[in-house]
Amino acid sequence: MFLTDRGKLWTVFVIVLALAILAPFASAYVILLVTQALILAILAMSLDILLGFTGLPSLGQAAYLGMGAYLTAILATRYDFGLGWSFWVVIVLGILIGAATAALFGLFAIRAAGVSFLMITLALGMCVWGLAYRWNSMTGGDNGINIPARPKFGIQLADGVTYYYLVLFFFVMSLAMLYVLIKSPFGRSLVGIRERELRMRILGYNTWLHKYIAFVIAGGFGGLAGVLWAHLNGIVSPQVVVLATSVDALLMVVLGGPGTLVGGAIGAAVVVFLRDYLSTVVPWWQYVLGGVYVLTILYLPGGLMGIPARIRRWREEQAGPGQEKKR
Amino acid sequence: MTQPIEQSGSSPVLELKGLSKSFGGLDAVQDVNLKVFPGDRRAIIGPNGAGKTTLFNLVTGVYPATSGQVLLFGRDITGWPSHRRTALGMARTFQVTSLFPKLTVLDNVLLAISGLRKMKFVMWRLLSSYRDLYDKAHLLLESVGYADRKHVEVRNLSHGEQRQIEIVLGLASDPKILLLDEPAAGLASGESREMAEFLKQLDPGLAILLIEHDMDVVFDVVDHITVLQFGKLVEEGTTAQIRHSPKVREIYLGTG
Amino acid sequence: MLHKLGGSCSWMVVMGCLALGVSVSRTSAAAEELRIGFVAPMTGGFAQVGKDMSNGFQMYLDEVGGSFAGAKVKFIVEDSEAKPPVAVRKAEKLVLQDKVHMLVGGLLASTGYALAPVSTRQKTVYIASVPSADDLTQRQSADYPYVIRTGWSSSQPSHPFGEWACQQGYKRIVTIGADFAFGYEVVGGFQRAFESCGGKVIQKIWPPLGTQDFGPYIPTLKKDADAIFTLMAGPMSLQFPKQLADAGIKKPVLGGGTSYDEFVLPSMGDEVHGHVSALQYSAALDTPKNAAFVKKYREKYGKVPSYYSESNYTTAQMIHEVFKKTGGKWPGAQKFIETLSKMKFDAVRGPVHFDDMRNPVQNVYIKKIERKKMFGYPNDELWNTVTKTYPNVSQFWNYGKTEFLKQPVYSRDYPPCKFCE
Repeated sequence: MFLTDRGKLWTVFVIVLALAILAPFASAYVILLVTQALILAILAMSLDILLGFTGLPSLGQAAYLGMGAYLTAILATRYDFGLGWSFWVVIVLGILIGAATAALFGLFAIRAAGVSFLMITLALGMCVWGLAYRWNSMTGGDNGINIPARPKFGIQLADGVTYYYLVLFFFVMSLAMLYVLIKSPFGRSLVGIRERELRMRILGYNTWLHKYIAFVIAGGFGGLAGVLWAHLNGIVSPQVVVLATSVDALLMVVLGGPGTLVGGAIGAAVVVFLRDYLSTVVPWWQYVLGGVYVLTILYLPGGLMGIPARIRRWREEQAGPGQEKKR
Repeated sequence: MTQPIEQSGSSPVLELKGLSKSFGGLDAVQDVNLKVFPGDRRAIIGPNGAGKTTLFNLVTGVYPATSGQVLLFGRDITGWPSHRRTALGMARTFQVTSLFPKLTVLDNVLLAISGLRKMKFVMWRLLSSYRDLYDKAHLLLESVGYADRKHVEVRNLSHGEQRQIEIVLGLASDPKILLLDEPAAGLASGESREMAEFLKQLDPGLAILLIEHDMDVVFDVVDHITVLQFGKLVEEGTTAQIRHSPKVREIYLGTG
Repeated sequence: MLHKLGGSCSWMVVMGCLALGVSVSRTSAAAEELRIGFVAPMTGGFAQVGKDMSNGFQMYLDEVGGSFAGAKVKFIVEDSEAKPPVAVRKAEKLVLQDKVHMLVGGLLASTGYALAPVSTRQKTVYIASVPSADDLTQRQSADYPYVIRTGWSSSQPSHPFGEWACQQGYKRIVTIGADFAFGYEVVGGFQRAFESCGGKVIQKIWPPLGTQDFGPYIPTLKKDADAIFTLMAGPMSLQFPKQLADAGIKKPVLGGGTSYDEFVLPSMGDEVHGHVSALQYSAALDTPKNAAFVKKYREKYGKVPSYYSESNYTTAQMIHEVFKKTGGKWPGAQKFIETLSKMKFDAVRGPVHFDDMRNPVQNVYIKKIERKKMFGYPNDELWNTVTKTYPNVSQFWNYGKTEFLKQPVYSRDYPPCKFCE
């Protein structure tokens, strides 16, 4: 049950492998839901870098999702770009525009901490929403932009399973890169900043710069998720960049367990399942979702990922004192 | 101001020239001149509100000075941010324990060591692949007797131990001068003695500037004492001189 | 950090099982079943409109006993929450999971735009019974071969309304419309038609969607205008006429159809008396067919039907008539669209047929709000009395299709305000 680091990596590997192998046997709708969960997982994991690892509760993560998505839609509809091999260029551009937006926003946001950081990121996110809603000639305003078709380059992304594999690929890449990031010297410095920023400064870290870089990286992954999101839905509307999307991402992280990386992915899976599957079954799904959120925040501060630790602690208490335990 | 320092031949590690700080109308630190030489063990004492911690904050760059200069190895660092001072060889600890509570002792030390290295920006390589970093951390932990507890989360250590780790973190950057803000604060007397022993076994080449209220620790560890009152330097000398100074007795010791 | 990762294992497994369970519980298709996926907001601010929509459809279904020419109708309602991405996901659920033959519904223009590509991607019929975004059946029509509209296009009633305004002798009009695409299209259509018969729009104001307080806008309305043209949405429809009356402005007020439709009318007071609007339906339409519809609907659901209800009732009727032709068999998406778009219908709202871009050609009614008794109901109530009927109005009005499509879609800045001062 309680695995070593290596064991944990294996667990993730096995799950990813299962996701890859089982796909052709699942129904098209399940594939769609899992695809959606994987994209949101990328967004949630990018946010976890800020919230869980750096201690920056951003309420503007939807902005980068939106930038990536709008870029994809605008390039596809106005310039007919990104619907063939150039899709890969759009992926890169999506990451860059997410990162660039974060680089701009970071200049305002990183100075603040705690609630003011929350408020500033919220406000900046609203700016992007305003732009999407108001800049009619470019964004189609309230109606949004329809993307004529998913890209094809040898393979047809229009096929649900193919697109799922593409998204799975990006999910695994993101997970791997973010995993290395959090285990890297830079990633550890973020944890240090989360735990005690002043001390980090005294230790010789330019904490502003570290936070800023983390912010930009999170923006980049948000942009990536945006490109994938645009092609999943085939439509990009201001709804992508509304506050609710940012809040959702935040709740996914909190639900899964902040500071665990995969917690964001689990949170995304749970939210997608509750919202998109349960909502088609029962009309009171919103109460279930709300209840899950409240219970998690009240009783599971470590999120779903905190459950094993809870069980372990409970077991230790049961086992009584004097019980030696090897880590 | 006399300089009764025997190593006057070598150049000072730290020098304060007319250092002052006022908050609004309050002069927290006024015209303090001070020299600290390599290997010096110096305490700064004074009643509460004398400006000791403010002085530390000026020296370490937490607050900007209102006037005066801070020289580190002869370089004027008055306007420098904290992390650059650290890079040059200055380390400090806090009056309130300021560790990374949820990280292990080893992780705390690793963070401290990386602080001065360029690799702190590396994000494509696992930290665990930096053998030299780990070697240094283990060496440091061994030298201070924490090798066996390196995987304990800091929050699970006793208060006295946390105070010591606080100092270990300061040592991680290979400082030439260490500023300790009340290392024995809140410690039981047994723990204070341990702390004094801990301080005495540190590298003798290291200059230490110490704020401390526990006079047993002060007299045990340092050889020079500077006395502050109302932000002003009022007396300076060896421990013996200060112990017998009537002025100090009157303003400080006399009250205790 | 990753010490906690071990627990993810069990959760992932649970999720996986659930996912597989979903895939197993697929519905198997019976031969004579017609599955209709209905997408409308069932929660949130637009839930009541969504209810009106599904009620309309359901009422027709009940009338015919739940089957169309022998095909048993399975009517599956999904909540779009009035959010385009949610609508997309629900539509895909309906297509992939429930294997519906067609999608019906959508409310907001943005939802219509979101659902149309799904229909193309999934090669599934989408009947836009309410979404009125012009370009769905205009400039983007070719992208959506499986889309057919049974409601209206936003600017369709505005064109005859503009001409009507000229005939009333209005020379100078100010417009105040909610700041979103639907608003631009309704106001734009009106402006174009009004100006092509010699009128002048001298001021255009765009309060944001959801505005409650029109205090900052009302005083800026030009005093020398002959009339005010307004297009509001949601609660704005109620607030604006009230505040206009409170400000003592007595000018004639014209409005887009949704500003005064039967969904908002029962909540209004005498401040809207005499206001004139244009739409393809009025509950006060004095035909035997409509009288029967209104009475039946009111008896069943306790309120006067709005165009949302009528439109979906009529949509159900249209599907039924296609099935009468095909003998109760699903003809395939392409054939269904083809058949439907060539038929003529005698609907509650009047005669309806489709143009070659699959938008209805139908009557547009100029309606004046009056307090009176109707259909034998005992109380004086507000009704949208039809004062003039423009028959067979196409979405292109009398501009001609080619000529019309050369123009860009109506927007905040198009048509430009040539006469603004």
